[in-house]
Amino acid sequence: MYTFEIVRAIAVIVLGATGTWLLLPHRHGRVKPAASNLAGAALSLIALILLATLWRAPSNLLNGVFFYAFGIAALAGGVLTVTSRNPIYSALWFAAVVLATSGLFLLSGAQFLAAGTIIVYAGAIIVTFLFVIMLAQREGRATYDRMARSPGRATLTCFLLFWTLLYALISVRSPHSDAAAEGDMQVRLVRASQILQSKQMVPTKGNASVVVRALSPTNKLPEAEPHASALGQHVAGLGGALYTDHLITVELAGSLLFVALIGALMLATPKPPVRPGSSSQPPV
Amino acid sequence: MTEFLIHNAWIVPILPLIGGICAAVGGRWLKGNSHFPVVAGIGLAFVASLFLLLGEAGHAQPTPLGWIEVAGLTIPFQFRVDGLTTMMLSMVTFVASLVAIFASGYMAGDPGYPRFFAVFGMFVSSMAGLVLSSNFALTYVFWEGVGVCSYLLVGFWHSKPSAAAAAKKAFLVNRVGDFGFAIGLFWLWSVTKNHDLSYDAVFDATNLATIGHGALLGITLLFFWAATAKSAQVPLYVWLPDAMEGPTPVSALIHAATMVTAGVYLIARSTPMVVLVPEVQATVSVIGCITALLAALIALTQNDLKRVMAYSTVSQLGYMFMGLGAGIGGLASFAVVGAMFHLFTHAFFKALLFLASGSVMHSMGGVIDMRRFSGLRKKMPITCITFAIGAAALMGIFPFAGFWSKDEILAALKLASHESEGLKGFYPEIYIAVYWTAIVTAALTAFYTGRAFFMTFWGEEKLPSPHDPEADPAEDAAHGHGHDDGHAHEIGHESPPLMWIPLAILAVCAFGIGGLLGPTGLFAHHVEHTPGLAEIEGAAHHEFDYATAIISSAGALIALAVSYLFYGRKSTIPAQLAERFRPAYLASLNKFYVDEIYAMVILGPLKFLVATAAFFDTVVVDNLVLAAAWIPRLFGRYVLAPFQNGLVQFYAAVTALSVAGLLFVFMWLSLS
Amino acid sequence: MSDPFTFQMLVNYLIIGAGLMALGTLGFLSRRNMIVMFLSAEMMLQGTALTLVAFGRYHGNWTGQIFTIVILTVAACEASIALALILILFNRKSSLDVTLWNEIREPGQPAIVEDPAEAEATEPVPGVESYPVLTPAGIEPEHQTWTVHRD
Repeated sequence: MYTFEIVRAIAVIVLGATGTWLLLPHRHGRVKPAASNLAGAALSLIALILLATLWRAPSNLLNGVFFYAFGIAALAGGVLTVTSRNPIYSALWFAAVVLATSGLFLLSGAQFLAAGTIIVYAGAIIVTFLFVIMLAQREGRATYDRMARSPGRATLTCFLLFWTLLYALISVRSPHSDAAAEGDMQVRLVRASQILQSKQMVPTKGNASVVVRALSPTNKLPEAEPHASALGQHVAGLGGALYTDHLITVELAGSLLFVALIGALMLATPKPPVRPGSSSQPPV
Repeated sequence: MTEFLIHNAWIVPILPLIGGICAAVGGRWLKGNSHFPVVAGIGLAFVASLFLLLGEAGHAQPTPLGWIEVAGLTIPFQFRVDGLTTMMLSMVTFVASLVAIFASGYMAGDPGYPRFFAVFGMFVSSMAGLVLSSNFALTYVFWEGVGVCSYLLVGFWHSKPSAAAAAKKAFLVNRVGDFGFAIGLFWLWSVTKNHDLSYDAVFDATNLATIGHGALLGITLLFFWAATAKSAQVPLYVWLPDAMEGPTPVSALIHAATMVTAGVYLIARSTPMVVLVPEVQATVSVIGCITALLAALIALTQNDLKRVMAYSTVSQLGYMFMGLGAGIGGLASFAVVGAMFHLFTHAFFKALLFLASGSVMHSMGGVIDMRRFSGLRKKMPITCITFAIGAAALMGIFPFAGFWSKDEILAALKLASHESEGLKGFYPEIYIAVYWTAIVTAALTAFYTGRAFFMTFWGEEKLPSPHDPEADPAEDAAHGHGHDDGHAHEIGHESPPLMWIPLAILAVCAFGIGGLLGPTGLFAHHVEHTPGLAEIEGAAHHEFDYATAIISSAGALIALAVSYLFYGRKSTIPAQLAERFRPAYLASLNKFYVDEIYAMVILGPLKFLVATAAFFDTVVVDNLVLAAAWIPRLFGRYVLAPFQNGLVQFYAAVTALSVAGLLFVFMWLSLS
Repeated sequence: MSDPFTFQMLVNYLIIGAGLMALGTLGFLSRRNMIVMFLSAEMMLQGTALTLVAFGRYHGNWTGQIFTIVILTVAACEASIALALILILFNRKSSLDVTLWNEIREPGQPAIVEDPAEAEATEPVPGVESYPVLTPAGIEPEHQTWTVHRD
């Protein structure tokens, strides 16, 4: 079984590398024969399907179907983003990658992230689109889009990287679950009694909810804590974790965004380039 | 008070040092007042050493401080107070304080005023430490300190090339001597009992008995070699005349009190060792004699007033060594006391003569060539009288200080020729030859001193002008040795009180101190208390030698009269003589070409060696280094540089490949 | 909701994440258009984000998602700066080709010059060229002097 997985992984790498290499723009100064493109596409597709066989299907059928669909879409979109001659197509395929990734986020229970990714990247993609249209060459396809930088070397590097990761992933075995959860429960009980003691509370119906709220962990996913998290499910839980455990992270992220805004404004403001030898002073 | 000072003798050297440090650190704010801390420090040191001088009984050792303690070598930082030390200390601090006061007038307005006094303080401090220290290692430290300070002071006007060269020469020649001292010190350390270098331990009779004749001979000869450098004896005397390039107070200090007396002091201190090796004693005497005669002969024809004084110092130091070498057998105490007495009186009258020369130079606007001025007795009466007193003391005319001390040395030499009759070898002949040479030298001394005096103060009045035939064309630029601060004093005036008061004090000393301390036996009594001297068998025979006194005085007076005939009035005799004996005259005028011979014999081969080494360095070593540097350069150019092709994607690819490789290695390591 | 997130599921997500990462690297290394390079970098970030979310889900805590939010923030900042940079770089050379920016190479190394003739020829489009051609009309606006056009 294991050996078979390794063989399949090697096949994925070899076929994927060959297919992608065929799809990439080369530098031979001629029109690329359609057969070469077709062969590349076919090889890549076979590699993709082989890769999909390495996955274990989830028990839930609906989940399984969506997982396979999103996974294959993401990787296929990735290949097409990289190999498209036209940057507009690249951007479109990248949008497909983002959408598929968001679907995967949804499947793994990250609803807020799924929405957030689509919103943020939709903005980014639209802006990129604007850029491509604004800066694109008249012909639509600049020569540099039809000449990859050493496609062979790049493909080799990247698929070597992929092979390393893939080999690590298929050779690793499932770890045994530990009793950390129970220990966590013990700690929590001690903490509860301490709170009750220090506040000299008598557990009544009125203050029970306060104690529960104070004790409920902020860092647990609702799936891992099925027993009535008082902080609510999913997005509310993420908000709770963000604004309790990671408050400074939020502040830092906000500051970073602000600084980046200023930086982008500074960079993009038109000003004459300072070249060595040019005597004219840049206008203030 | 006295007890306290004896047990804390370190106060004496530390006071001038504090003054010097104040001048060095505070010179920025003190500016023209920088002499205050130094003069005060040296003055207080003089007061303290007077206490020591009067209160010293036998000898006392103040508490030692730990200094160097390594296996087999323990050297305490310890001073000692005994007869020789207190005598030297009082003399040094007294003369130095007067010179410092003189210098505060002489150096006024010099841009390096604070620096001068800072080094001055350190110089006096080093000298005081040298005479106070109680072991050879500590003496060596201060010995070097004196050398460094003299370098700094001689080269005080370091922008003047001749001054810089003179300072370098003084330092290097002294290094040659210091080398001998260091080797002697090592040797002494290796043979002495318990490796204890303190004077007491070394001069212990049982210790000296164990050392052995050969080692003693070597050690004392090495010490004498060191002394010839410090005290300007043949063959290492060449630096002293050139040290004239420093400011005149420095010359006075070096010649009279501090620097040159160090060598004499060292030999005097080592007397218990020297007295055991008559060969060295005879060597010391003969070298002293040769030096005295040679310097006197050179001094006959020099035209530079300060240079005449410098050669007279060399000559007088030769006298001292003659005396030191005459201590055969039971004479040791007498001879050494005589030599030290000459050192003592010489300090006063030589300081006086130098300061008077400085006063003349100051007044003549930096001109010191005796041919360019004359008849100054009207313009500068005080300088004239004080110079005359100093000159009389130097000539050894009764009853001035020099008469008594010079006479003691001559008497010691005469006695030595009798005393050494029992010894194997030609000692009596040697000593009698030295004796007669010394008398001739005394007459020569009288002649050149009289010549200097008459040329300067007698004759018709003449002031230097730039149109003199002897004038140095470059002199206008260097006019007045840095007195370029604009206070253009007119030429030919008496010096200010700040300068002539020290002259007067020194003149009184030069007149009276010899008669006061010599015949009365006060000096001898005091110095004989020195441990090591007192224990030598056979007490000194104190008897005034009338015959010697009469002969030397007559010689000196005749020479003085001749010099008056030659120079006191207009006379063509000197010129005729110079014409008649032209080779001899030229030889004397050019200092017997000693500098030139040294340059040829020593500097020539050295320069050749240096050139060879430089050639080897530039051609062989440099190219080896360059060749070694070529290997990484080639590697970088042909292997590493192509990686830096400026392509962002290439860099990214290298990074990604490295990451993949690293991952692979880690995984392989963790799985296997 | 009853689907447990097993270790096998985690591996599934990680494989997709690794694939996106590798493809992004490929694009970044081989494509010379700066905009496509930027998109590839974003794709690498997507792969990382997917990995983190899966790990968070597997361990049952929010940390993975919070990391991803931070990554999203950084990606937004990166996008704004990168596009601003691309804009000014385009203004300098009138080209999005990253190969033109190789002045940081070692002195003495030859500059890398691409021969446009080596590029793949465009596929002949059957029929009439479909791009509309507009006749220039009106007053030509004053060209800004700092733009250097490389035609």
